[in-house]
Amino acid sequence: MWVDLIITLAKILFILAILVGFFAPVLTWVERKQSALMQDRVGANRADILGFTVLGLFHIIADAVKMFTKEDFIPDGANKVLHTISPVIALVPALLTFAVVPFGGQYTLFDKEVNLVISDLDVGLLFVFAIASLATYGYVIAGWSSNNNWSLLGSMRTASQMISYEVTIGLTIIGVLMVYGSMKLTEIGAIQENFWMWGIFLQPLGFFMFLTASIAENKRIPFDAPEAESELVAGYFTEYSGLKFGMFFMAEFIEIVTIGALMTILFLGAWHIPFLTTATLLSWFDFLGTTGSNLVVMFIHVGVFFAKVVFFVYLQMIIRWTLPRFRYDQIMKLGWKILLPLSLANILVTGLVILALN
Amino acid sequence: MAYYVNRNIKMTWWERSYIPEILKGMLLTSRRFFHNLFGFVPFFLGTTKERPIMTVYYPEEQVQYPIAYRGRPVLAQNEDGMPACVACGLCEIACPAYCIHIEPAEDSGKQNQYERWPEVFDIDYAICIFCGNCEEACPEEAIFMSDDCEISMLDRKQMLYTKEQLLVPVADLQKRIEFTRNMYAKWNY
Repeated sequence: MWVDLIITLAKILFILAILVGFFAPVLTWVERKQSALMQDRVGANRADILGFTVLGLFHIIADAVKMFTKEDFIPDGANKVLHTISPVIALVPALLTFAVVPFGGQYTLFDKEVNLVISDLDVGLLFVFAIASLATYGYVIAGWSSNNNWSLLGSMRTASQMISYEVTIGLTIIGVLMVYGSMKLTEIGAIQENFWMWGIFLQPLGFFMFLTASIAENKRIPFDAPEAESELVAGYFTEYSGLKFGMFFMAEFIEIVTIGALMTILFLGAWHIPFLTTATLLSWFDFLGTTGSNLVVMFIHVGVFFAKVVFFVYLQMIIRWTLPRFRYDQIMKLGWKILLPLSLANILVTGLVILALN
Repeated sequence: MAYYVNRNIKMTWWERSYIPEILKGMLLTSRRFFHNLFGFVPFFLGTTKERPIMTVYYPEEQVQYPIAYRGRPVLAQNEDGMPACVACGLCEIACPAYCIHIEPAEDSGKQNQYERWPEVFDIDYAICIFCGNCEEACPEEAIFMSDDCEISMLDRKQMLYTKEQLLVPVADLQKRIEFTRNMYAKWNY
């Protein structure tokens, strides 16, 4: 009982540490530095401690200090309560999604089965999208309560865009469900131990549609119409400053990681190395005993998983700094006229293939 | 002539999906990214002097300005420490912004002695427009535009440079002197 609780707490702390402590801050640095390198610039390198700049990594600390010390401004006529809680509503779902996302398989440590997922829900995939949809409220409330035209326009765009693309995501997932026959993310991950069962081979169209739709869900370029800085000042978070603005920003960066993790689990073989089953890996480290070999394999798997997540994060960053923004009607057209019929066709074809194979 | 955009381009189905073009664009940005990323490594290891990125870390690194650059005007100082200026006042007259103030001093002008030199030579850089007319007007090759453009002060009074602050040894100005000789020779002054 106590051991289970401690293990769960350790997993929660690990996820929080890696998301809030590592990915969110480092991604702010990566985004600056990577875009600079792509555009033949130098990038952020001015923040220094005792003369050391370390490639501008101290800008993370400078950012944090700035966020904490800035004036927390609530505009005149804004709804104070809603204005205050909406960043929380936006940030919490982004973090909560990781409750069902497995970052490793099952391992036997000290005669105890350890499952590297905080909560192994049977409806894990549904939970992810139920929670992700909740984030929409945060953005809509933020724009509505700010008493600002731009914010309101931005939040309206957010609402319509997120709802449109959630349809596509939901239908794309149905294809994955049909292939794997499970909603448990741990099971979907476990099935992909076989290299040819990876989602990207079974659902190639679903992979691209899921990537597109989830970038649209995250409101990043090329789907950043809700916060288009050249049209609406900054969209729904125009009136936010200090840590509240930081929370919106953090939600965005954590969602990048969430999308990467989901893509990894659904389409890119989760924590498995191609052509290397867990049993083979365990047999390699057999001389360390049951616990030792399991521990080593666990670290390898978690490392592989996060390496794949980093690849997807990098892919999203590349897309963000390569493509121009879609016009608003083009976003809607892509969502409803192209991706929706394609995802329906994907379900049909997947069903026919499964029927034919049986 | 009006420029008409042909918006009726027939695209194939594959082109209309935009996937190849998107991949091409991502390939380009990735190539730049990795080129610059690994181009930096030898620079920081100190094996190459050339950085692949042209951006200059300004206060630490300085750019060599071209010789035609007009920075703040300075006075040429002869080897014996006296200004080359004879306080004729032509630059004072040529100056469109009236930023030069000269008070001459005179002596007998015997052998190895200066006949005329400026007792006071002030240039107010707060007023100066860096046109280079003073350099052009000078008959004695005494005032030159330098490549120094970092003349920001906390107080306007500090912008008023006196003779001692303006003097620069002639040896340091040789390039600019040669340049001005070539340039003004063209117009046959």
